[in-house]
Amino acid sequence: MTDVNWTKPAGWMASFFRQFFIQGSWNFRSMLGSGFAYCMIPLLRRRGLSGDALDEAVRSHMGTFNSHPYLVGIALGAVARMEDSGTDAETIEKFKRAIQGSLGGLGDLLIWGAWLPATILLALVLAWAGTPPWVPVGVFLILYNAGHLALRWWAYSQGLEYGKDVGVRIRGAELSRLAERAFSGGGVLLGILAGVFLVSHLVGEGAVVLWAFAGFAAFGLGLKFGHRALRSTTFVLVLVITLIMALGNA
Amino acid sequence: MSVVLYRIDERLIHGQVVMGWGPQLGVDHYVVVDDELATSQWEQDLYRLGLPDNASADFLTVDDARARLTELDADARKTVVLTRTIVAMTALAEGDRLRGREVNLGGLHHSPGRTERVPYVFLGQEEEEGLQALADEGVEVSARDLPGSRAVDLETLLG
Repeated sequence: MTDVNWTKPAGWMASFFRQFFIQGSWNFRSMLGSGFAYCMIPLLRRRGLSGDALDEAVRSHMGTFNSHPYLVGIALGAVARMEDSGTDAETIEKFKRAIQGSLGGLGDLLIWGAWLPATILLALVLAWAGTPPWVPVGVFLILYNAGHLALRWWAYSQGLEYGKDVGVRIRGAELSRLAERAFSGGGVLLGILAGVFLVSHLVGEGAVVLWAFAGFAAFGLGLKFGHRALRSTTFVLVLVITLIMALGNA
Repeated sequence: MSVVLYRIDERLIHGQVVMGWGPQLGVDHYVVVDDELATSQWEQDLYRLGLPDNASADFLTVDDARARLTELDADARKTVVLTRTIVAMTALAEGDRLRGREVNLGGLHHSPGRTERVPYVFLGQEEEEGLQALADEGVEVSARDLPGSRAVDLETLLG
């Protein structure tokens, strides 16, 4: 399907910027349906549609649709490309219906399950290592959003480039492996966090060896089992560590 | 091990299923029962994109699935059986195949003629009659989107 002469449809950039607002339209009735239509408007306008024809085209994109907001570009790009190359409306409907669940699942795994906790943990490690407050905040905001923006751009480019074939072009399994690696990273960081905290905050006279040992053990456990941990487990661990710290400082 | 969940969900394989129910029940296999999807490879590819690395999925027609239910229950894998319509689940249940088992209503979304019962379940007359027919097959129907949410029984849904 990839032909050399194909260029991005007019209005693709405006549609990309609209994607940053898409989650604001989330509702139980159509989920991201109206947001999807909102993002399609620049493309439809630049195709020369106006008045009733534009109304009808926008309406046709308002159906129930859901996705992770960062990955919605895969669907939007692919739909833009399919419409541009004259794919029939029924196929486009089927495409949207079939890909939505995957975009939601992959995004949850990749972002809420891995990238967000991993970058927050990194920031916490920095904070507990004693850096000035602006360092962890800055590192988190820059690092998290670098991944976030790169993912949005990648998703939209893939959709635009491959259209209906995007399903076989992007490898879902590779993305979920990536998520698992990010998650392991989070586990390692949690281990380091426990270690750094125990060594730096709870060290008493003569107990240094014991706490250092506990810290390294925590690091090892994070390294070994981090990727198997459920989100709830991670949360409980962070809570426990925070409590220990609070008690230690009291 | 067996079929660990029967679920009616218009979105089939999606976040709530692979992130919510999957880890909770230790799922490693998904069976989507749908006559149309069973013969459409490109749509299957799109649904499979969302699978975790360690899970697989089969797309079966209702007839194939009916013939394989016993086999799936004896299988070493923990399986989730998904349909996107009440009708398909009822066809699976016919002939006491699912008598005494639970069917989870996970997502029937807004469309013309349907009204909201819980935020993730919209029912019209056709769906109400369908759910009653499913219950008449001896199946325990309740709505629950995620393992952590409250289950809403059929009486409350239809009431």
